[in-house]
Amino acid sequence: MNNDTSTVPEHGFDHPAFFYRSADDYLNQLVPFVAEGLRRRQSVCVAVPEPNLRLLRGALDAAADQVHMVDMTEAGRNPGRIIAGVLSAFADSHPDERVRIIGEPVWPGRTAAEYPACVQHEALINTAFAGRDLTIVCPYDAARLDERVLADAYATHPVLWDDGEYRASPSFAPACVHARYNQPLTNAGGEPTFLVTTADDVAKARRFAAEEATRLGLSENRCMDMELIATELTTNSLRYTDEGCELRIRRDGGHVVCDVRDTGELVDPLAGRRPAVSGAPSGRGLLLVHELADLVRTHTGPHGTAIQTYLRLDGR
Amino acid sequence: MDLGDHVCWRYGDATEFRACVQDYLADGLASGERVCYVGMSEPAVLAADLEGMAGIGEALRSGAAMMISIGQAYPVGAVADPAAQVKTYAAMTEEALSAGFTGLRAAVEATSLVEAPEQRDAFARYEHLIDQYMVGKPFTALCGYDEHRLGADAIAELACMHPATNEHSDSVRFRLYASSRPDCAAALTGELDIATAEAFRRALEHADLQPLGDGIVLDATGVEFMDHRSMLELGDYAHTRGTTLVLYNGGYPLGRLAQLLDMTSLRVEQPR
Repeated sequence: MNNDTSTVPEHGFDHPAFFYRSADDYLNQLVPFVAEGLRRRQSVCVAVPEPNLRLLRGALDAAADQVHMVDMTEAGRNPGRIIAGVLSAFADSHPDERVRIIGEPVWPGRTAAEYPACVQHEALINTAFAGRDLTIVCPYDAARLDERVLADAYATHPVLWDDGEYRASPSFAPACVHARYNQPLTNAGGEPTFLVTTADDVAKARRFAAEEATRLGLSENRCMDMELIATELTTNSLRYTDEGCELRIRRDGGHVVCDVRDTGELVDPLAGRRPAVSGAPSGRGLLLVHELADLVRTHTGPHGTAIQTYLRLDGR
Repeated sequence: MDLGDHVCWRYGDATEFRACVQDYLADGLASGERVCYVGMSEPAVLAADLEGMAGIGEALRSGAAMMISIGQAYPVGAVADPAAQVKTYAAMTEEALSAGFTGLRAAVEATSLVEAPEQRDAFARYEHLIDQYMVGKPFTALCGYDEHRLGADAIAELACMHPATNEHSDSVRFRLYASSRPDCAAALTGELDIATAEAFRRALEHADLQPLGDGIVLDATGVEFMDHRSMLELGDYAHTRGTTLVLYNGGYPLGRLAQLLDMTSLRVEQPR
């Protein structure tokens, strides 16, 4: 097997999908990738799910101390916060050097609710880091993930790294795949609905959200987060639409979901995903929602936007 | 509500307001304070408003109660000089103390002083300054505003500068007033979101808070909710004044919000 990582470009933005089929495969490719980065005195971040994190840490041995290690199942549980909270946070803290990041946002076990947000995140990386000087390698477990997931990875990554080969993706189309996963979001129906049409409604809306979330079993601390989420989302609707919004709180399995719908279109797909810029309050509300949530799902179009924010019932 | 505080009283019925003034001033007389009633009318008419109030006749004769036509204390129609007004009441308080009273208590029908926006700006500033004076001196005041002559927003703009008000919390969602903690520039209570954004910005301007040693310290233990824009507003407020802002935290997790927003000019601490 070819484990020569010298094919990894050293200039510009590089975003390969790396397909692995075993732990050995994973380590044979990624350990040299990390080692080469360290040899070049580049800063390296490994943001992967904990089983793989442990694997890499063990294989890197003492070199692991020089690598920024992140458990993606925690930091990236909500895929919508990975760009700002993991990737940009690391890249921006090393502004004058090329950095290497291993970011694994998709793993077997991602739920059907999470998956569309994962794909959209992968697609948006291309826009978010265009022109930047870094490599973000995204490992995919080709042995356990289904074909549809691998096909999506082809569409969201300009470069494929498979069996030691580094080649252009034949089906790279991030905007198309982002649009394909812009899917309508439904509720079970029958949930109590709170209508927000004026600024004075926002306080009542957050009390409604907290009461419903408490009734559904959300912890006190997370109910405070729910209040902030409901406030920020309904405030955005009031600021950017003429009609206000509808707020619903419901339970979905092990989550409480805050569903906010308005008539506006979220035209900037990176809204709430870019890191905050000092002195620019716009976009901070949605960024905050992404940071607080375990998952944020969005469907937007000319006829309106629905945002569903998931908080785990067993979360703190 | 404790009527010994600096109270904003919104009223729609003059008879109801007179009854409130009588209760407020009677409490003052009972506590050995000098009381004064300040209104638009001539002193004799003002005194007639207090007819039936226990001890008012004797208090008027002895100088324990004073009726002041508004033009004597405030410039009618003109924009008030906030600092000069505070000096006036400070002098009256000192006089009351020299005369053997335990302090001074004023009931003021202030509607005519705040009908124009520029008058209201100056008066809101005065309300904050006089509130600071009251923290350390035996002076209390009831500020009456007629809801038929002032809009709800105008009254709310003034009410939020008082530690106490009869306004419903739906109308006055937050308040910014002088703190009894010596290291705090002011106390902030209530809920802050899009509904209060403009009023909060104006209240901060009116208060014109100054750093005390370690930046501008706000007793925020009474804050029940704050959205991200309100926290950024506080951060900008400190930044433009070249200082930092410290929020004393209570039950609401302001520290978590500050951390999520990565605030540089604002930090959250436990009260000292």
